[in-house]
Amino acid sequence: MWGKIKNWLEIRIGLDGLMKTHLTEYRVPKNINILYTLGFVALVFFSIQVITGFFLLVYYIPYSEMAFKSVQDIMGTVPYGWLFRQMHVVGSSLMVVVVLFHAIAVFFMGGYKKPRELTWIVGTFMLLITITFCLSGYLLPWSQLSYWATTIATTLPTAFPYAGEIVAKLMKGSEQVSGITLNRFFALHVMLLPLIISVLVGLHIFLVRRIGISSPPFGKSPEAEKPWTEYRHVSHPDGYSFFPDFVLKETIMVMVFCAVMFFFITFLPTLLLPEEANIPADPFKTPAHIKPEWYFLAPYQMLKIIPNKFLGISLQMIIVLLFILWPFLDTAEENNLLKRPRLRWLFFVSLILWMVFTIWGKYS
Amino acid sequence: MRYILPLLLILILPPASQADWKEQFEKEFLARPWAGPQVPQDVCIECHSSDMMKPEARDIPRKWETSWHYQNGISCHNCHGGDPKDAENAMSPQRGFVGTPKYAQVPEFCGKCHVGILKNFLESGHGKALKSSGKGPNCVTCHSAHDNRKASINIINEQLCTKCHPYERVKVMKQALFVTENKMNEIDKSLKELKTEGVFTEEEEKNFFSTQAQFRTLFHTEDVSLVRRQTDEFVNKLDQVKVKIQKTFEELRFRRDFSAFLMMLFVGMAIGFWVLSKNPKE
Amino acid sequence: MKRRRFLNLLLTILGLTAVGSFVYPLVRFLAPAGGKAEAKQITLKKSEIPVGTAKEIPLNNTPAIIINRPDKGFVALSRVCTHLGCLVEYDKIRNRLICPCHGALFDLEGNVVSGPPPKPLPKFPIKVESESILIG
Repeated sequence: MWGKIKNWLEIRIGLDGLMKTHLTEYRVPKNINILYTLGFVALVFFSIQVITGFFLLVYYIPYSEMAFKSVQDIMGTVPYGWLFRQMHVVGSSLMVVVVLFHAIAVFFMGGYKKPRELTWIVGTFMLLITITFCLSGYLLPWSQLSYWATTIATTLPTAFPYAGEIVAKLMKGSEQVSGITLNRFFALHVMLLPLIISVLVGLHIFLVRRIGISSPPFGKSPEAEKPWTEYRHVSHPDGYSFFPDFVLKETIMVMVFCAVMFFFITFLPTLLLPEEANIPADPFKTPAHIKPEWYFLAPYQMLKIIPNKFLGISLQMIIVLLFILWPFLDTAEENNLLKRPRLRWLFFVSLILWMVFTIWGKYS
Repeated sequence: MRYILPLLLILILPPASQADWKEQFEKEFLARPWAGPQVPQDVCIECHSSDMMKPEARDIPRKWETSWHYQNGISCHNCHGGDPKDAENAMSPQRGFVGTPKYAQVPEFCGKCHVGILKNFLESGHGKALKSSGKGPNCVTCHSAHDNRKASINIINEQLCTKCHPYERVKVMKQALFVTENKMNEIDKSLKELKTEGVFTEEEEKNFFSTQAQFRTLFHTEDVSLVRRQTDEFVNKLDQVKVKIQKTFEELRFRRDFSAFLMMLFVGMAIGFWVLSKNPKE
Repeated sequence: MKRRRFLNLLLTILGLTAVGSFVYPLVRFLAPAGGKAEAKQITLKKSEIPVGTAKEIPLNNTPAIIINRPDKGFVALSRVCTHLGCLVEYDKIRNRLICPCHGALFDLEGNVVSGPPPKPLPKFPIKVESESILIG
C-alpha cells in the first residue's frame, strides 16, 4: 500500500531522487556536534508559537476594554485554555533562549565566516524580529505588567534626540500607551512579523542548504584549504546521513526542550506571570517594581548606569550594528576559536557581562 | 575596521559635549514613574508635617500613612474637603473644606462615604444615645480618626466597651458574630493564596466583599437577634463562596498533574530517542 | 535487532499518547460551549413595576434591578457596584442608585455620578412589549 503511493508520487515528481538528495544521501560532517541541532529546535519552537498563537487568537479580543477579560476567560473558562496560553508564554521565553544559544554556538564555531556571511546577517535580523515579537506580544494581555513594561520599552527610544521622539510616537500611536498602541502591536504581532520572519526563515534555510553545512572547526577543516574564488557547494561525503542519523539528534533536542517547557508549566507556572500580570491595566497607577522581561534586562540596566541618555542608546545601537556586521569585522581565516585567544577572551567577557547585566537588572 | 573610530567619535562627541548630562538623565529617565515610588502632590501633608505645626498636629500625617485609608488611596481632602493641590486655597470653604467635625457630628462626617453604616448606627442604641445626649460613642471611639485599621471583630473588646457599660451584653453580640467572622477570615486567606498561584479572582472577591460589607454593617446595629437570624443566611452565602474556591484549588492541582504528565512523556521520548541513536541500524 | 524493534514500538506508543494528549484538549478547547453559557430570559408584567418604582430580581446569577423611570421608561441594571462589589440600592427621591459601602452614586442609566467606582453599572438588554417586559 505504502509502496503504491510512493510509486504514484515517484512517477510525477521523482520522489526517490528528492528523498536521496535531501534526506538519505544528504550528509553532515562526521564531527558534527549537538549544538548544530539548535537551529531546528528554534524552528520547532517557532511553529509551537504559531500554532498556540492561532488557538489563542480564536478567543482573544484585541480591544482595550475586553482584552484582559478575554485572556482571563482563556485561562479560567475555556477548557484547556490555560494549557495553550502557558505554552505560548513559556514557549516564547524558551524560544528566545534557544535562538540565543544558536547564535552563540554559531559564533563559537565560526559559522559566520566566508562564505556564510549572508546566513549570519539574515540570522541576526531573525533574532531582532524575534525580540520584536516578544515586545509586541507582551502588550496584548493588557495587564498592569503589559502596560507598564511597554510604556518603558516605547519610551526608551526617546533617548535618541529628535528621531527618538518620532520613533516612540510611531510605536505608541498616541501620547501614552493606549488602545491605539494595542491595535498596532496586535497587527504587528499577528500579521506583519510572521510574514517577515517566514520569509527570513525560508531564506536562512535556503542559504544553509545551498552553501552546505559547515564543519565544526575543532580538528581538520578541509574547507579552509582551498581559497573561495568561485561558488562551490560544501559537501561531506564521509559524514553521517542527514536522515535518519542527524534528524534523530534533532528530535532528541526537541524532546528535551519540550520537557523543559513543561517543567516550567508544571512547577513554576507563575514565574513569567507574576501578580501584576493578573491585574487589569491602570494608566494612573504604576506598580511598585515594574521591570522589562528578562531578555530586555541587560540593555535596560546598561541604559540605567550610563549617565548620558544619548550615549547609552548610541552604545546599544553600536553593539547591535557590530553584532549584525561581525562577519565583515572578523575576516581572519582561522575558524577555530580555541586557537584565537583574544577573540575567545572577547567572546567570554561579552557573555559574562551580558549575564551580569541581566542579573543586576533583575535585582536593582 | 577603519570606519569604527570615526563612527565612535561621531556618536560620542555630541553627548559628551553636554556638561549637565548626569542631571539631565536623572531628571528624564530616573525620575520617571517606573524608576521609583510615586509621590503624589499633596499640600495638606506638606504643611501639616512641617515645623510650623504643633507636635500633636504633626503626628497626624504619620498616623495616616499607617492607616487602611492610606492603603486605599483616601487622603485628607476625601474626608475634610479642600484642595490638595493649591496651597493658598487648600482650606477654603469654596473648595469644600469642612474642617474638623464636632463630636456628635462625626457619624455624618464618616457617613458621607460609609452610607449604609451610618444608617445602621443611627438606629442603634449607641447612635440614639449620641444624638439625644451628646454623650456616647461616635465612629472615632472604636475606629481611630487617622490611623484606622481594616475592620475586624477584635475592635469589640472588653477594654474598650467597659469604659461605659458592663461587658455581658457585648459578649453575647461578639459570640453571635464569631462563627461568621471566622469563616470570612478563612475565605480571605484562601483568596490571597489563589492570587499568588496566578488565578484571577475578581468576581469571587467582589462577591465576598459585598457579603463581608453587609455583615459588618450588622456590627453597628447591636441587635443580637437580628444577627442570629441573619447568621444562617450569611453562612450559606459564605459556604457557596468556599465551595467555589475549593473547586479552583482542585482545578489548579489538575493542571499541575496534567502538565507533569506531558513533561514525563517528553522526558520519556527524549530518553527513548537517545537510546535509539545509540543502537544504529547495521 | 530486537532492541530496535522494542524501542520503535515504545516510541510510537509514547508519541501517539503525546499527540492524543494534545488533540483531546484541542477538541475541548474549540468545541462550542454547552447550553449553560446561554443567558436565560426573564419576563415581567409591566403592572408589577409602577412608574417611579423599581424591582430587584436575580438575572443570570447576578443581582439586578429593573427601574421604571418616569422620563425614560424601563431599564435593567446590575446591582453589583463596580468599585468593590457591594449591592446598590434605589433612591426614589434623588433618582439615583446609591452604594451603601462607600457612598457611590450612579444615575438611572448606570453612569457614575460620584464616588470611587471606575466603570458604569452593566446594563442588561430589555425589550418592552404591550403588557410585559423581556429582560436578557
